[in-house]
Amino acid sequence: MKQRARLSRTLVVGGAALALVLSLSGCGGDSDAAGDDTIHVLVYGDAANKVEKEIVATFNKTSKVKAVLDTIPGADYQAKLQTIINSKQAPDVFFNWGGGSIKPFVDAGLLLPLDPFIAKDPDLKAKFLPSVFNSAVVDGTSYGVPMRGTQPVLLFNNGKVLKKAGVEPPKTWDDLLAAVEALKADGVTPIALGGGDRWPTLMWFEYLYDRIAGPELFQKALDGDQDAWASPDSRKALSSIRELVDAGAFGTNFDSVKFTDQGSPTLLATGRAGFELMGSWEYSTQQDAHPEFAKSDLGYSTFPSVEGGKGDQANVVGNTNNYYSVLKKTKHPQAAAEFLKLMYSDQFVKAQLAIGNLPTTTNTEGFLDAAASPEFAKFQYDMVKAAPAFQLSWDQAYPQSAATAMYQSLQQFFNGSMDEDAFIKAMQALPTS
Amino acid sequence: MTRTATPSADGETVEKPGSSGIGAGRPGFLWAAPAAVFFGLFAIVPLIMVAVLSFASWDGLSDPEFAGLDNWRRLLDDPVMIKSLWLSVLLTVLGVAVQTPLSILLGVWAAGHQRNRAVLSAIYFVPMLLSVAAVSVLWRAVLDPNLGVPAQATWLFGDGNLFGTQATAIGVLVFVSTWQFTPLHTLIYQGAARAVPQVLYQAAQVDGAGTVRQFFHITLPQLRNSIITSMILMVVGGLTTFDTVLILTQGGPGSDTTISAYYMYQKAFKSFDYGAASTIALLLVLVSTVISLIVVRLSGYDRMRSTMEGL
Repeated sequence: MKQRARLSRTLVVGGAALALVLSLSGCGGDSDAAGDDTIHVLVYGDAANKVEKEIVATFNKTSKVKAVLDTIPGADYQAKLQTIINSKQAPDVFFNWGGGSIKPFVDAGLLLPLDPFIAKDPDLKAKFLPSVFNSAVVDGTSYGVPMRGTQPVLLFNNGKVLKKAGVEPPKTWDDLLAAVEALKADGVTPIALGGGDRWPTLMWFEYLYDRIAGPELFQKALDGDQDAWASPDSRKALSSIRELVDAGAFGTNFDSVKFTDQGSPTLLATGRAGFELMGSWEYSTQQDAHPEFAKSDLGYSTFPSVEGGKGDQANVVGNTNNYYSVLKKTKHPQAAAEFLKLMYSDQFVKAQLAIGNLPTTTNTEGFLDAAASPEFAKFQYDMVKAAPAFQLSWDQAYPQSAATAMYQSLQQFFNGSMDEDAFIKAMQALPTS
Repeated sequence: MTRTATPSADGETVEKPGSSGIGAGRPGFLWAAPAAVFFGLFAIVPLIMVAVLSFASWDGLSDPEFAGLDNWRRLLDDPVMIKSLWLSVLLTVLGVAVQTPLSILLGVWAAGHQRNRAVLSAIYFVPMLLSVAAVSVLWRAVLDPNLGVPAQATWLFGDGNLFGTQATAIGVLVFVSTWQFTPLHTLIYQGAARAVPQVLYQAAQVDGAGTVRQFFHITLPQLRNSIITSMILMVVGGLTTFDTVLILTQGGPGSDTTISAYYMYQKAFKSFDYGAASTIALLLVLVSTVISLIVVRLSGYDRMRSTMEGL
């Protein structure tokens, strides 16, 4: 009896251990079972997935190779992608931010150059706004096709607050400095800034470097020319930032404020700040949280020009778009190419506009009246279309390994705990490849 | 199945009469197998892999390349790394220094059997039931300089730039962990204080000792073992703090609250520099081992004496 009890225990324990090992080793393999006639499309999981689902359905209606849409919830996307991209579970087509976000994959030889497809079907490039398409060109080779909306950075304002202080949206840097003084005199924080998130602070660097030094300086630095950061233009941009911060344009507690928890948008909406420099998503954020304000008082303008600066005042910075890239080892490159062609279809453009995204295809213009907010969509579209250069956000242009150190230095220079020389040194130390 | 082994009064497993045979007595390795397999798979194997990776350069894409001592050299030259170790120690020391007296006083007070104490301590234990992440998000919102408490109490908070300077950001981190974890330690002390034999207090009363003297000469010495237990928990908790930093400060301003555990996370999952991250991880294991050895040695945890001697 005892013996049997012991034996059954052995079986139970052994079985449990075996099951554990099997379930562990079995974590991955199931995706292979779907067969050879599918391509997996991996995207960042959020509200825009609605459109991606529609496009996949359209594709599957006519294609013999079926597309399967996989989503990963936002915050985990990059880490998960990095983990699976060189494994058996790697997707065939995946969402990314262009620029530095795919550079490591290109360097590792994982991505399929799209140029042969473009040679066969020039529309795959010609149908997109060039300034946007170029963000996914790495070392002269195209690796991505725009697949969502563009998000340029604009200077938003509270019309009521500006009016009360007798201020117009600034056209030049001096206008902005004068507006800061007028708003301060009126007892409001001139500019709301979510410094706690750090990427809002970055936007001020991006625009001032662009206006003062032109987009070439940053490109040079990104290409590995570290002297660019120490150039006179770079120093001039830094002293302009210093001037603005020291003038009290952002108040004193901006590093404790965040955009992501509604801190800075609320300041703007409730009339406690006059301006906020933010990506185009400020508009939908305000529509959600403060619909009244978004309708009546939310204004926007392009970033002011800087006198004597080298950058064109029509230049734009921000998130150029998101992109689909194709993995080199996909079994169905042709099907993937067919799938990418849907990214400039009328159906795609209409569906994106309906959820408030602004696609960057040449046929977008014809549908702008159908956008969620036509006036704002037109303003952005014209701005992006006319832009001689569209600077991809620095944190996305640089490789991921640079982001943390970059944020730290930006924040420290901005709040005055790091001086100009130390900042230049810190930027020079960032890895560029 | 027939389980005939029953624990006897002195805690040892003995067989009931009539059940002789194989398998009696101490359980074999098989009993420990599930736990051992689990521990091996999820603790020992990763630890070995981390040790190997700390000598490699790996971005998670291409194959790891042997890099010798490169990671170690880079980290020892990295001012943020050195700073992060000091910050970890500072946060731990501040945590222990603030929480220990608070939780001893609260625990001893809550040990009383009066009804109001029972009700108040029940309320006071609520933070312990909340997740660290939820608590951190909550305090981030409460401490918003324009929309939270600081805006209403400018006499105390000034411009409310709590997350903008190193001193205040560390203050917030210590405060939030204290708010969350003091109840746990209070619970430990409450239990321990109730276990102090009443006869000691009665004797002290006969000798004419007041409440304060009783506290310092009876309660505190009797709590010695609990204090050690609680402090070890605090040290371990302090050195492994991560979630509060991630949600409250993201290591900022600049790198002013980037503690080692958070720096490791940044290296691994923001910069995808798994070699450097593994090196930090291994360094943390080494430092924590040394610290816990010191604590055990200093506190006499390894030869803990009973507080019941002479009773």
